[in-house]
Amino acid sequence: MVQFSPDVAHTIIKAAALLGAGFAMIAGIGPGVGQGYAAGKAVEAVARDPEARGNVITTMLLGQAVAESTGIYSLVIAIVLIFTI
Amino acid sequence: MVSFSPEVVDSIIRTASLIGAGLAVIAGIGPGIGMGYAAGAATEAVRRQPEARGAIITTMLLGQVISGSTGIYSLVIAIFLIFSG
Amino acid sequence: MKYIDEPAKLQQEILKKTYSLALIPLIYSLIRGEFATLLGFIFGLLIATLIFRLRLIQIERALDMQEKKASTFIRNRYFIEYIIYFVVLFVARKNPSVNFLAAAVGLFFVKLTVIGLVMIDIIKGSLEKKLESYR
Repeated sequence: MVQFSPDVAHTIIKAAALLGAGFAMIAGIGPGVGQGYAAGKAVEAVARDPEARGNVITTMLLGQAVAESTGIYSLVIAIVLIFTI
Repeated sequence: MVSFSPEVVDSIIRTASLIGAGLAVIAGIGPGIGMGYAAGAATEAVRRQPEARGAIITTMLLGQVISGSTGIYSLVIAIFLIFSG
Repeated sequence: MKYIDEPAKLQQEILKKTYSLALIPLIYSLIRGEFATLLGFIFGLLIATLIFRLRLIQIERALDMQEKKASTFIRNRYFIEYIIYFVVLFVARKNPSVNFLAAAVGLFFVKLTVIGLVMIDIIKGSLEKKLESYR
């Protein structure tokens, strides 16, 4: 039976946490694609009905700000993984 | 009992954090794809409704300002990982 | 939102509001005597301003292209921007007289202003609607 000293265990855990922080940030792809898609659709909407452009722009920005939250979650998780372990 | 020398501990953690940084940077793909889609939609929209050009540019600009930031989150984490490991 | 049909004017307006909002952290860090924070914040804000202005020029150029070409153009330009951000953050982390987190916050400041302006717009709109319904 192989036994690890506490040092080794701590090293492995720390290495895994740092790797995990990197993996967590891959989630940033999602909001980026979604926000860009929303911008594209908003542009199409402005072209279809130029009168409603103010409303379209505020709605787009609000939706993008909400979609951003997923990216912020992954950022928070990554920071927790880096700094607490 | 398995135990590591300090150099081994250091190099394991450093390797893990560099791999993590590389993974984190992948998130930059997302905003790129999204913005590209938005730009394509915008050219189409300008062709259909040339008099709404100003409003379309405004929509694109504000959309890009919001959607570019998920990339910066992942860069912040990547640089933390590169330097703290 | 004013100047919706004139992106250049809107951009100037947003930049003015960003700078007046940025005075709060600038003066705060000046009073506290944290010059690294001050420098980092100014650094991030400068890069954010330049990239904001660059984006308007790029969009104006992209709108005259074919659809496929425009989307590749904007995508490639975003990747160049990403590299610029990386270099900026790397330099801010490497240099001891510049605070890294302050530089990152400076990069986000334009975005924060835009979101704040939209929130003010939405609140104003809903208040006006309520006033209408009372009349």
